[in-house]
Amino acid sequence: MNTLDIPQSSSTPLIRFDAVERKMRISGESYPENSFGFYAPVVGWVKEYLSGQNELHLDIDVSYMNSSSTKCMLDLLDLLEDAYVGGAKVTVAWRYDRENPRSLDLAEEFQEEVTLPFSIVATDE
Amino acid sequence: MDLFKLREQFSQEGIMMCFNGPFSHSIIEEIGIAIRNHLAAEDTSRMAVQDVFGVYIEMTQNARNYLVSRDIHAGEAGSATIVIAKQGESYAVTSGNLIRTEDIADLGARIDQINSLDRDGLKKRIRQQLHKEVPPGALGAGIGLMEIAKRAVAKLEYSIRNIDGHYAFFTLTVLV
Repeated sequence: MNTLDIPQSSSTPLIRFDAVERKMRISGESYPENSFGFYAPVVGWVKEYLSGQNELHLDIDVSYMNSSSTKCMLDLLDLLEDAYVGGAKVTVAWRYDRENPRSLDLAEEFQEEVTLPFSIVATDE
Repeated sequence: MDLFKLREQFSQEGIMMCFNGPFSHSIIEEIGIAIRNHLAAEDTSRMAVQDVFGVYIEMTQNARNYLVSRDIHAGEAGSATIVIAKQGESYAVTSGNLIRTEDIADLGARIDQINSLDRDGLKKRIRQQLHKEVPPGALGAGIGLMEIAKRAVAKLEYSIRNIDGHYAFFTLTVLV
């Protein structure tokens, strides 16, 4: 299986998988010109990974997300939720900026969508 | 062209930033970064900076996606006008672009419908829409206008001016 390593740009986040920790990190900002095109390979990768592995930890530190990225992120969380319901060890840590209540709102809205262990962690940027 | 006069008018209306012309993703990005730096330099709260930036991104990407999907590309027709102004304690983000006349009724009805919802109603609709399958080839998730309304401190304000029977000019103003 290919490794997942997408560098950050001003409108797209860094997306990197650490095979040792089984951790996928998404950090930066997300407002690509074409969100569906940008996230399709990521969603595909996660789908393939979860078909063979039963542990994945998602660490998200995204300070701004446009509406189509929100949709893609939800698709990603749906995959993780399915795996979790199927018995996989899946967790999500969602980081938000303590000084920006909007980023906490976003984290909570995603948390409401799933039953898997989802922690919301404050950061001081 | 009397740029001094134009500048005076801009400053009277509190206009911080104005763009008019053919635009692309990279222009959207550049202006967005400039707005953000400008607001941050003025000691604006992080929440307010993100509200202005978020609304600006949704509005411009909406306009761009619309123009692309309706095949309105070339030159003047594919242009957008974007104005960001300070109005008292709020910021007004305004965007304008051409729309096809056959889209007028739908667009107007959609905004009226969004304006009829309160915050909880908006959140509910956004959630419903997020769980829908995105049609193949779609450029957006169909929630941009609702996300904009969620952040706005007033109802969405719009006008549609008929131009020549084929096109109309659509203006949207959002106060955050």
